[in-house]
Amino acid sequence: MRTILALATVSLGLLLAAAPLRAHHSFSATYDGNKPITLRGTIVKMGWQNPHAHLYVDVKNADGKVVTWEVESAGPTTLMKQGLRKEDFVGAEVIIKGFLAKDGTPTVNASSFTLVEAKKEFVSDEKTP
Amino acid sequence: MQRVTIALGVALALGAQTVAFAQGRPDFTGTWRISQAKSSRSVVGNTPDIQFPSQLEVKQTASDISVIATSVRQRPLSATYKLDGSKVDVQAPEGITETGQAVLNGSSLVITSRRSFSSPAGDVVVDFKEVWTANGNELTVEKTRTQVGDTPSTQKAVYDKTS
Repeated sequence: MRTILALATVSLGLLLAAAPLRAHHSFSATYDGNKPITLRGTIVKMGWQNPHAHLYVDVKNADGKVVTWEVESAGPTTLMKQGLRKEDFVGAEVIIKGFLAKDGTPTVNASSFTLVEAKKEFVSDEKTP
Repeated sequence: MQRVTIALGVALALGAQTVAFAQGRPDFTGTWRISQAKSSRSVVGNTPDIQFPSQLEVKQTASDISVIATSVRQRPLSATYKLDGSKVDVQAPEGITETGQAVLNGSSLVITSRRSFSSPAGDVVVDFKEVWTANGNELTVEKTRTQVGDTPSTQKAVYDKTS
């Protein structure tokens, strides 16, 4: 009985650990460091999860078409340490500096983003603002 | 006698010019590997602000400088710049076009380049300026990235000479 309980505990632990591990990928596997990009748009949704917070931002192209971008940023803890609160987000105008995804989708890894009205910059690596 | 004096004068002048040229001209030839300890964290971490190659193989002659840049999980990219500042095409990954020009400025090498590619937001044009300064077995590269409508950002990486 003890063995079964121990096995069940280990299995549950592995299952719980698997989800964040799967989400925590290396930059170079997903994003193209040769394609830096700066975007300006409006935040329409916020994914406040670990290990990376995700912003969803409406960006208007030169032709007027609006594209919703998924922006991977630092984790919520890192952002909160820099003064960001969940309620700061939706509807705010933002400037994002980052790198395009390799798969050609409107996805970007943000090295930093700036809330325009608040004039506050948030960086993914908090030691190098 | 007068001819000998003139010949000697010309030879001395040419020799002096050659020495001055050799002394004043920086040489970046060598294989340089990025130092994580000496570079700022945002150029080597998981969320780079500006990406730098992990290794640079440089060959410099009197008229040009060729650079093979190796980055993580990418095939090496090579470029040969004329040191007179004329514009050249630079090898870039698929889907990217890049031109660049290089010029020696005192003890530094200045490389400016323009990169273009398409994105879901439309065509993107990004300008880069790199200032290279070598000090013994250490190479410092200061790189500035500018995109139209954006404020420039600058990062510094330090490379150690391995050969």
